[in-house]
Amino acid sequence: MKTYFRIAIPLFILFLSSCEDVIDVDVQTAPARLTIEASLDWEKGTQGNAQTIKLSTSTPFFDTTTNTAVTGASVVVTNNTSAAQFVFSDQNNGEYTTQDFVPVLNQSYTLEVQYNGETYRATETLMPVTDITELTQSTEDGFDDEVLEVNVIFTDPADEKNFYLFKFQKRGDLLPELEELDDEFVNGNEISWYYEKEEDEDTNTEEFAPGDIVDVELLGISEAYHNYVRILIEQSEGAGLFSTTPVALRGNCINVDNEENYANGYFRVSQVVRESYTFQ
Amino acid sequence: MNDQKTKNSVFLMLLLTLTSFAQDYTLSGTVKEASTGETLFGATVLFKGTNIGVVTNEYGFYSLTAPKGNYTLVISYVGYGEISREIVLEANQKINVEIEEFATRLDEITVTAEEPERISLKKPEMSVSKLNIKTVKQMPVVLGEVDIIKSIQLLPGVTNNGEGSSGFNIRGGAADQNLVLLDEAIIYNTSHLLGFFSIFNADAIKDIKLYKGGIPARFGGRASSVLDIRQKDGNSKNFALTGGVGIISSRLAAEGPMFNDKGSFLVAGRGSYAHLLLKAAGEKNSANFYDLNLKTNYELDKKNRLFLSAYFGRDAFNFGDSFDSSYGNLSGNFRWNHIFNDRLFSNLSLIYSKYDYDLGITIEQFDWISSISNYNLKYDLKYYVSDKFKLDFGLSGIYYDFDPGQIRPTSETSAINPLSLDRKRAFESGLYLNAEHKLTDKLTLQYGLRYSAFHRFGEQPITNYANNQPVVYNSTLGIYERGTAVGETNFGKRETISSFGNLEPRASLAYQLNESASIKAGYSRVAQYIHLLSNTTSITPLDVWTPSGPFIEPQLADQYALGYFRDFMNKSYSLEVEAYYKTVDNRIDYIDGSDLIGNNTIETEILKGESRAYGLEFLLRKNEGKFTGWLAYTLSKSEQRTSGGSAGGPGISNGDWYNTPFDRTHDFSLTGAYQLNDKWTLGTNLVFQTGRPVTYPNGQYQYEGLSIASFSDRNSDRLPAYHRLDLSATYRPNRRPDKRWKGEWVFGLYNVYNQKNAASISFGQNVETGANEATRTAIFGIVPSITYNFKF
Repeated sequence: MKTYFRIAIPLFILFLSSCEDVIDVDVQTAPARLTIEASLDWEKGTQGNAQTIKLSTSTPFFDTTTNTAVTGASVVVTNNTSAAQFVFSDQNNGEYTTQDFVPVLNQSYTLEVQYNGETYRATETLMPVTDITELTQSTEDGFDDEVLEVNVIFTDPADEKNFYLFKFQKRGDLLPELEELDDEFVNGNEISWYYEKEEDEDTNTEEFAPGDIVDVELLGISEAYHNYVRILIEQSEGAGLFSTTPVALRGNCINVDNEENYANGYFRVSQVVRESYTFQ
Repeated sequence: MNDQKTKNSVFLMLLLTLTSFAQDYTLSGTVKEASTGETLFGATVLFKGTNIGVVTNEYGFYSLTAPKGNYTLVISYVGYGEISREIVLEANQKINVEIEEFATRLDEITVTAEEPERISLKKPEMSVSKLNIKTVKQMPVVLGEVDIIKSIQLLPGVTNNGEGSSGFNIRGGAADQNLVLLDEAIIYNTSHLLGFFSIFNADAIKDIKLYKGGIPARFGGRASSVLDIRQKDGNSKNFALTGGVGIISSRLAAEGPMFNDKGSFLVAGRGSYAHLLLKAAGEKNSANFYDLNLKTNYELDKKNRLFLSAYFGRDAFNFGDSFDSSYGNLSGNFRWNHIFNDRLFSNLSLIYSKYDYDLGITIEQFDWISSISNYNLKYDLKYYVSDKFKLDFGLSGIYYDFDPGQIRPTSETSAINPLSLDRKRAFESGLYLNAEHKLTDKLTLQYGLRYSAFHRFGEQPITNYANNQPVVYNSTLGIYERGTAVGETNFGKRETISSFGNLEPRASLAYQLNESASIKAGYSRVAQYIHLLSNTTSITPLDVWTPSGPFIEPQLADQYALGYFRDFMNKSYSLEVEAYYKTVDNRIDYIDGSDLIGNNTIETEILKGESRAYGLEFLLRKNEGKFTGWLAYTLSKSEQRTSGGSAGGPGISNGDWYNTPFDRTHDFSLTGAYQLNDKWTLGTNLVFQTGRPVTYPNGQYQYEGLSIASFSDRNSDRLPAYHRLDLSATYRPNRRPDKRWKGEWVFGLYNVYNQKNAASISFGQNVETGANEATRTAIFGIVPSITYNFKF
């Protein structure tokens, strides 16, 4: 809900102001850092045995090289109760995979990555998620009441704190859209979340039209990961006059040998509901 | 209360003692403008050929004490003629003077050789800027909207966050460190349309005084500055209408005598109408503002005068059917001027002010409201003991009510639960005594003391934290996190939660080197008890104020200043050079990723730090002739440092000093008006400023199919430098002196060379190509404007 506060003010200013353009800017360059994208997402109704962890390095901000894959690392996830180990094998393209992962709800897991003689470690708990009760479309819920949006309807469990991550991607779009929700203001209620696309000629973005397919993911996430991903989303939306000052974002992957050389990214273990919707 | 009574009697005793010294005679009275009957603040009143002189106070009152004898009384005011009168001083007497404005005819604006001595060189007042509303009206402005807040930014030491941002920054201080007073009422938000315009309608304003330092002891409560704005009393001679029609808004003010010429009134209104045009053009979104100024006064008798003034202003935004928002200030002030005797002037004020913000989120069916309001009772006295000694003293009490926010679902089906953040209450009191003491003909001192106290009281619960740490450093992850709540303590109605008290010494001196030059030095300490919570680049109307309390200590500012002041070229030029060094203790900053919206426990998001600012200011003014104006340059630095404190850890930016968002290395402005002939006046501004400190990305990494930016240290980058040139031309058609209707056209060109100054630069990924790019938002390109003003 807080998102609305954040977007309300910038919207007014955008409406009042006129001119936006893309310019060249000199930025600082930090030394390359390891990025750990360890998203163990267990899709509801599946075994969840197949999992992938991606390792890469950071690059200068305006760099367009895509070859940042990290190979030769060792990646192991451990069930903190049973001590069962899941070894992820190096696919030599930055991906490390396993076919044996055993997801257990509310179970705590530890990730250990060894790379360049240093050990990175993170701990996270597998968070459950509620079901999507309905996936539908409308025009009146979204920001513009003449534009089609997809509605994700679900009921927040009462008497507990819940945090959600949404991932929307229209088929054919290059980039997904991430959104987060903290149930602080909506605890125990039926929630209708929408995703709408605004027309933008500069980027050839079009509104949803009948026939479009959108992939929807709803994840249950931990409070710590919510704190992380909230800042990540906010900062990736760009820093305007009324956004908070951007910060160096730190995830949960700490470097055991060299504290300052922490890894970007996050080790998350979440239950996820995946559905697709075709606009009528 | 007993404590207060004791203090009062100390005052009284002091008075009596001092009174007994006096053996001379006193001349007192009021200085008014001849055509409107408005009292004049800051008019110079002196006995020619002597060092006996004074400036009129906010109510036009003066009092001069001198030995028995014959004198020439000379009264002058900038932009006005001067009046001299022979006085035989052999008894206490009263003289009310009316002084006439220079006619607009050019040949009359010649420098008079016998210009009276300016005593400003002698007065130990420094770091003060007084702006005449006429000067403000002549400056070129965006869209032709006369704007006091934008005008003061052309003075040295005054900046803001750029176009389209609210507030202003004084000597590297934050916007919430400015005490903005409109007829003594505290104004919490000075902006219309998020800072595009200011809330002050120039037609209703008489004068503006900005204290950048050397804040007199009668003011307190804000660390950086006082902006004292006073409304007109209303024309007491004739009924008059003034107004204007502009692109954005129109204005109309009516004023005239009342109560059988024993008083006068002023009603001024201003409203924007751009939204009507937008609506007509089929635009679903709209933004508009309006405000209303009221003032009336009534002279009970020679010694008693009553004033009533009020302000109401509002902004409203509509974004289609999705959001709407409205906010504004409301204030009222009842004042009683009482002249005890020729030398003792008093004013009692009862003031109310309120700021509230309302955001309606229609698509989610809820409203968000927040507000701050206060009642303020103050009593100020000025005692003109002798020509060498003047005393200001008084007391004040402010009761605050903070409503940091409520969420109200607007329908049964809303997914949002109702919520009320804890209301907060506080009482701030102040007691002061200040002396202006002329030690020798060359040396004048001003010294005073203010004692301020602040009490937070219930009823409200206060959260307790494990180890008394609302914020904890997580050394494993290297981040600051919210502390663990371990229950609450409930404070009952009127039960004290926290108390603070501070002694605030203020002192300054002026030493006159010769007829045309002086040096001044000053020190002041000011305590600030309420704070605006804002972790965004620019403050927003949504930001809420919060009082000091168990987790937030009062900000304490110490400022040292040294200045050199000089008149030259027959006083048609003046030069002011000032250096300052300022520190503020207990300045809060926000932890990485802080979340303030709807947060009931702000203490979990902040760390305590300190700030320091220093700089050198130059102001060269040309006061007379066809060309008038000034050149201002400031070289300065403003930084802050925030340690981990009780939360542990290194603090923000590793506990090192980092730039505040208000740091501007260079700030240059040239402002001028040129009287071409009796019909045309030209105006110009040229502004150059170092870019605002910002935080840019220093790398990127792939995550969830997105390119995510990593960011460098807080405020370690800068926006490109800001610069622009504005021009204006005012045309006053030939008018016959007997014609009451007087009109003028003002043509403006803002940002003449269409510089795209970045209000912000935002970094993101192009959704089509996936490449990272930097997007600049520029608010105003070249903006032409036309305004018609009239007086009837």
